[in-house]
Amino acid sequence: MKARLPLSYPLSGITLFLIASLSAQAATLTLQIKSAAGVAVEDAVVYLMSPLTPRLPIRAPNGQIDQINKVFVPPVSVVQTGTRITFPNKDNIRHQVYSFSKAKKFEIKLYADTPAKPVLFDQPGYVAMGCNIHDNMIAHLLVVDTPYFALSDKRGVAQFVDVPPGDYSLIAWYYMRPDLDAAVTPLSLKTDQAQTLVIKTRPID
Amino acid sequence: MRLPKLKTLQSRIFLFFFLLLLVTQIGNVLITSTLGLGIVNRQIAAELATGQRVFVQIIEQNTTQLGQGARVLAADFGFRDAVASNDQNTLSSALENQGERFQADLMSFVSLKGSSITYVRGRATVLAGLDYPWLFDQARQTGAESVIKQIDGVLYHLIAAPVSTPLPVGWVVTGFRIDNNFAKKIASITNTEVSFVSPQATRDWRIYASTLSREPLSALVQTLNSGHLTSRVLSDVHTSRGDYLSLPTPLASSPGQTALVILQKSRDAALAPFISLRNRLLAVGVIGLLLSAIVGMLISRNVTRSIQALAGYARNLAKGDYSATPVITGQNEIADLAHAFDHMRTEISAREAHILDLAYRDTLTGLPNRAMFQDRLQQAIHTARREGQSLTIMLIDLDRFRLVNDTLGHPIGDLLLQEVAKRLRATLHRGSDTVVRLGGDEFAILLPTTDLDHAAILARTLLTALEKPMTLDGQVIDMRGSIGLASSPAHGGDIETLMRCADVAMYQAKRNGSGYAVYDARYDQNTLGRLSLMSELRHAVEQNQLTLYYQPKVDLKDGSHYAAEALVRWIHPDRGFIPPNDFIPFAEQTGYIKAITRWVLNEGVRQCAEWIRLELVVDISINISARDLMNADLPDYFAEVLQLHGCPAERICLEITESAIFDDPGNALDNLQRLNTIGCKLSIDDYGTGYSSLAYLKRLPVSELKIDRSFVQNMVNDVNDVVIVRSTIDLAHNLGLRVVAEGVETEAILKQLCVLGCDQAQGYFFSKPMPADKFLEWTSSTLKRDEIKIACAC
Repeated sequence: MKARLPLSYPLSGITLFLIASLSAQAATLTLQIKSAAGVAVEDAVVYLMSPLTPRLPIRAPNGQIDQINKVFVPPVSVVQTGTRITFPNKDNIRHQVYSFSKAKKFEIKLYADTPAKPVLFDQPGYVAMGCNIHDNMIAHLLVVDTPYFALSDKRGVAQFVDVPPGDYSLIAWYYMRPDLDAAVTPLSLKTDQAQTLVIKTRPID
Repeated sequence: MRLPKLKTLQSRIFLFFFLLLLVTQIGNVLITSTLGLGIVNRQIAAELATGQRVFVQIIEQNTTQLGQGARVLAADFGFRDAVASNDQNTLSSALENQGERFQADLMSFVSLKGSSITYVRGRATVLAGLDYPWLFDQARQTGAESVIKQIDGVLYHLIAAPVSTPLPVGWVVTGFRIDNNFAKKIASITNTEVSFVSPQATRDWRIYASTLSREPLSALVQTLNSGHLTSRVLSDVHTSRGDYLSLPTPLASSPGQTALVILQKSRDAALAPFISLRNRLLAVGVIGLLLSAIVGMLISRNVTRSIQALAGYARNLAKGDYSATPVITGQNEIADLAHAFDHMRTEISAREAHILDLAYRDTLTGLPNRAMFQDRLQQAIHTARREGQSLTIMLIDLDRFRLVNDTLGHPIGDLLLQEVAKRLRATLHRGSDTVVRLGGDEFAILLPTTDLDHAAILARTLLTALEKPMTLDGQVIDMRGSIGLASSPAHGGDIETLMRCADVAMYQAKRNGSGYAVYDARYDQNTLGRLSLMSELRHAVEQNQLTLYYQPKVDLKDGSHYAAEALVRWIHPDRGFIPPNDFIPFAEQTGYIKAITRWVLNEGVRQCAEWIRLELVVDISINISARDLMNADLPDYFAEVLQLHGCPAERICLEITESAIFDDPGNALDNLQRLNTIGCKLSIDDYGTGYSSLAYLKRLPVSELKIDRSFVQNMVNDVNDVVIVRSTIDLAHNLGLRVVAEGVETEAILKQLCVLGCDQAQGYFFSKPMPADKFLEWTSSTLKRDEIKIACAC
């Protein structure tokens, strides 16, 4: 069953249209994310929160953000709290990855290849990471207290799978507006749903 | 140095060159000044433009340098850590540290949220609350990161750099103070005056930094406030210390805060080398002028001195000084002129000599003339006066020359004059003696350094020389002359006086027949005296001051017969008795004798008639002068007078001198005949002094002869005179003439005259001339008559 729920978020200028599809045990929620101008928005983070989710076990305990050609790949990531991320250096130059963000402050001294220790992100929040050598290298990471999160692809499509039906808050976050609070939409997920989410990006974009 | 007058050639030449040089020098200085000003203006403009470019460069350099500092700080990991962790203490110390490191005057961090923290060098505390939204707006819009901003009363150049962690979180702002030190630094590089100004309000500019001193600075503010300075336009700022060429350039400004940097250059300072050059040119010019003035003065004076010398020389020529030759130096035009002058001198000199010769020579006789005589006499008078010597002049007049001219003709007269000249010249031996012909038959001789005694000797010699018979054109002529001598200083100290004296003496000689005479004041009445005498004489005749005195003519054979010679006397009311000699010769000369004679005739005839009425018969003799004898009216007048007084003509005897008849024998004879016809007697007076022969006298209608007193008086001493008197008496008697002796003063003479058979005698022995009443008394006295009887009886 597919239901189309037009939803609008006045908060933070983000309008979220949500299309969810749920199965009896585990539903799949597919979201189409667009800007206010109707253009598909890539790398928009969406996640579902409920009072239960922070206590859910970690689904994918390890993550990875590469540095390729002096660019973080992927530039935008979303992980569950407690995930360890490694920063493999695929360039033939050295990098020094750091973060001054409250959610995770760290610094990996100048290194090549893959550092020995992955970085544990044990606090939810936004972490902006850069390279102290190369000012233009920026990686955006959102650490969330839920295993239910998704990242929109080039077509603006983000898909949740294996989400048990229930009442959630659907939260959308976009790295271009990290200073803004995430848009929150209550969502009662019963079956597979498909929704369209409209994100109002910065005017200059 | 005396300034020359403008009229002279010297001053004109001098002035011309002086002015020429002056104009040249002024031109030099003017051109130098004008050129200098132009060059300086262009040079300053170029320097200011260069300064402007250099200043922009420096600002860019500062921007780069400080921006780098800002960027370094913004990129610093620890700094970003402090920013991220909002660690205020760490932040401010990091700012201070970075500020010190980059020598920035201000370091500031401004978060994107607007909070800021600022470190200012030299300030103990950190400023908070500074905001630079304009800076970031500006940076966002134009990408520029640099701006000028006044903070806390100080002007800063601010540069902003973003801080990222890695997302932008704020700005690091660095700034440097635009103060006097900065201005000095700029000035030292651009070599201009540098001022940073910004307006507080419209027309209220404030100076934030400047290298200018106080006065030009206030001038700059005034100019700014008056709105006379425009960005990027070269303008003048006038100050009491000269003009400043100014170039304002806008600085990166913020809203509400414009600022200018003004580069200035003193024109005077730039002009200084040119002024120095001009002053040196002036000095050279003044020295040149002075030198040219001196040299010009010398040259023109040299030229004009030669000309003046020639002018002086020409003046000497004009005065007649031909002796000097002009000084000729060099071979220039002046020398040519001098040669011409010299030539002129010799020519003029020769011509003048010739003219002088003509002017000073008598062409007939070849003797010098009157003009020459006067010149020489003048010279001689000077010399004589100087040397204390005396000189003598002679005037020689030929006797009866007119007769020769009239009877023998002028050619003979001329020959005679030439012969006389020759003889006179031949007689003089001294070279210094000068014989001249004054004109007509008058000659003169100048004898310098000769006294009267020697002159008298020479006069006699001359007379002798003249008396030698001359044979002229076959005719033998006897010539005599009369010479008058006058001497200086005895008779006068000037030409006129001497000439007149000599003239008087000459006439005296002629009158006397003495051949020569030395001037005697007695002959002469000075001209003024004569003039007054003339008027007084006229007065005397009119006022009856004249009177007649009678001197008896005693008849030696018939004592009962009375006769008297009437002699005119002048009783002057002031001067008293005036002797006849003092006015009769004068009257004869002036012609006034005619009036006197008329008076005498009238009075004599009247007296005679009166006495006849008193029954006293007196024959009265009246003197008739030579001039009277020439007068054709005389006989008629005489007849009138006789008739008027009723006097018989035979009672009157007219006495005429020998010479009077011979001066003009024709006329005289005619008049004598007419007088004789009237019936009066005629008598020859002063017989013996003239040259008349008795044979000639015989033809005259005379009845009486009066022997001159000179013979009579000498009879006692000189036998010759006795012979003359006797033979005269005898001859006269033979011709039927009565003889009268004059000048009988002694009884001895009277006795002799009686012996010789003289008819009548007259003289002091009998009586002086006396007035008519006295004469009347005398006739009644018998005393004298008796004496005569006694004398003649012997």
